[in-house]
Amino acid sequence: MRRRSLRTIALYAGVALTCAILVFPIYWLVVTALSEPSQLRQLPPSFWPAEPRWGVFGQIMAERPILLWLGNSALAATGAVAISMVVSVLAGYSLSRFRVRGGQSLGLFILTAKMLPATLLVIPLFGIFRNLELIGSLWSIILAHATLIIPFTTWMLKGYFDTIPRELEQAAMVDGCSPLGAMVRVILPVSAPGLAATALYGFVLSWSDYAYARTFLTNAQDNWTANLGITTMKGEYISNWSDISAASILVALPILAIYLFLERYLVGGLTAGAEK
Amino acid sequence: MAGIRIDSVTKSYGGLAVLKAFSLDIADGEFVVLVGPSGCGKSTMLKILAGLEEATSGTISIGERDVTDLAPGDRDIAMVFQNYALYPHLTVRKNMGFGLKMRGTDAGEIDRRVNEAAKILGIDHLLERRPRALSGGQRQRVALGRAIVREPQAFLMDEPLSNLDAKLRVHTRAEISALHKRLRVTTIYVTHDQTEAMTMADRIVIMKDGVIQQIASPDVMFREPANLFVAGFIGSPGMNFLKAKALATGGSVTAKLFGHDVTLPVANAAALAGKEIVVGLRPEHIAAGPGQVSFAVSPRLIESLGSEQYVYVDLPEEHRREANSGGEDEARRTSLIARLINPEPRPLEATLTLSFDPARLHVFDAASGEAIR
Repeated sequence: MRRRSLRTIALYAGVALTCAILVFPIYWLVVTALSEPSQLRQLPPSFWPAEPRWGVFGQIMAERPILLWLGNSALAATGAVAISMVVSVLAGYSLSRFRVRGGQSLGLFILTAKMLPATLLVIPLFGIFRNLELIGSLWSIILAHATLIIPFTTWMLKGYFDTIPRELEQAAMVDGCSPLGAMVRVILPVSAPGLAATALYGFVLSWSDYAYARTFLTNAQDNWTANLGITTMKGEYISNWSDISAASILVALPILAIYLFLERYLVGGLTAGAEK
Repeated sequence: MAGIRIDSVTKSYGGLAVLKAFSLDIADGEFVVLVGPSGCGKSTMLKILAGLEEATSGTISIGERDVTDLAPGDRDIAMVFQNYALYPHLTVRKNMGFGLKMRGTDAGEIDRRVNEAAKILGIDHLLERRPRALSGGQRQRVALGRAIVREPQAFLMDEPLSNLDAKLRVHTRAEISALHKRLRVTTIYVTHDQTEAMTMADRIVIMKDGVIQQIASPDVMFREPANLFVAGFIGSPGMNFLKAKALATGGSVTAKLFGHDVTLPVANAAALAGKEIVVGLRPEHIAAGPGQVSFAVSPRLIESLGSEQYVYVDLPEEHRREANSGGEDEARRTSLIARLINPEPRPLEATLTLSFDPARLHVFDAASGEAIR
């Protein structure tokens, strides 16, 4: 009994420590945003500012086009996720259901695209987009992000579709659906948690991109995404880290909101197949 | 409703043939059971019939229509799956009406048919529930209901009882039979359970390695099995097999069984003389106590089920067949099982006299396994 309670205490202590390690950067971001820039380098550091600058958020929204940047990020992420989901739902479903010669190798080949660092793809993508006259357009990062998202989401969805019994679409086909109709009317509604988890993953990937936006959108200020915009707040000689932190919090909020909204589906999506 | 004609259907995966020239005529309203061990091709045949798999060759007609190349939804059949395959995101009502909706049936008509089928199956109080809120037995009924509302030409059922517990299985088995008698819709039912096949079928099709072994009514299949495989598969416990040699004695043919010269019930005695044979004897045709052919045994194991006893006896060496590569149970090759009805309790150590009537024996060619009558 005593050994059991000790184990429980150790378990809770471990969980608390892990949470503290994970939450500390966010906490420090908030502390930095609310502190006067002059207080940031003091030793010992202050763990909560004496007079928090709550007005900093309104101030930077007035000074910088944060809402425009957020809108661009949302547009780019939504576009990239939409394209990625259409492609990866069809690809993942095909990999899961149809046995074709070389199908497995093709699936692995798709995954190798994910293994390449994003920066490696910047140069060829730049060449392609320049030929298509997309440099400076939001379409450049929508398509570039889709190339990043699709390989992984295809595999995520393939794994999810594998957990759905084939008999479901067979029953739908006997009931009069075409193979595509069975997928749309039965498999996709049943896969809602998996689709939500996959879409959120793609959205976060696109939202957090900097390299592609920096390469393709630098000369088009009206199309800057939030991450690209924030980096322009860093000066060559002086950087106001308090303002940058406050802007970072504003940029992180939409993702947090989406996560909380989709959390129910997300957990279902990530634990799919765990139930027997 | 319609009859079904399956003509020389084959199915191969690469070099592996899983169905070999399968031909079967099913009469309108008939209940046919495809039975056989795992991997015999019965489920593949059902899926080909449903249009869910493509036949390598051969044709299928439902009624007067050649449906070989039609999509599953165009064949006018309904299917009940082993795991029920209910749509988890739809209510029972919508599950049952899904097929009709796909066919553009009027909403009022869908409601009428769903309500009627639900009443027949006793699930009218479950119509607004989702499948996850149902028990296994209720899901099974919904799956049946989904098939019934379509009013199809034929029902295809792929081991629909195998996910139910033993008691519910017996109950549902009887319900499906009663439903078939009421609706008289042509039904093809796949199972690996010979008891289901025997109790439900108008005709049984028994399969092994993609080949039909025998097509017959349950009674005929039990009394006149076509070969060793059928004889061993049908009946529970399966038939006992004893290796022997046929000897011509006057106008009849005999075999030495348990030390007795036993006359074999075969018509063409002359052709059989001198042949290596396998004699089949059903466990329920062995009686306790002396009879026409009696032999004393020392039981290795006695299993009592109350109303009956299974007595396991080691077969004498001369009656044991050679081990084959067909995966036959070793215990079955070396033992004899007697099924004694209303037995007296008896200790395992006691010597027991068993007997049988030679007219009940089955005779098979040892080389080909075919029955000799």
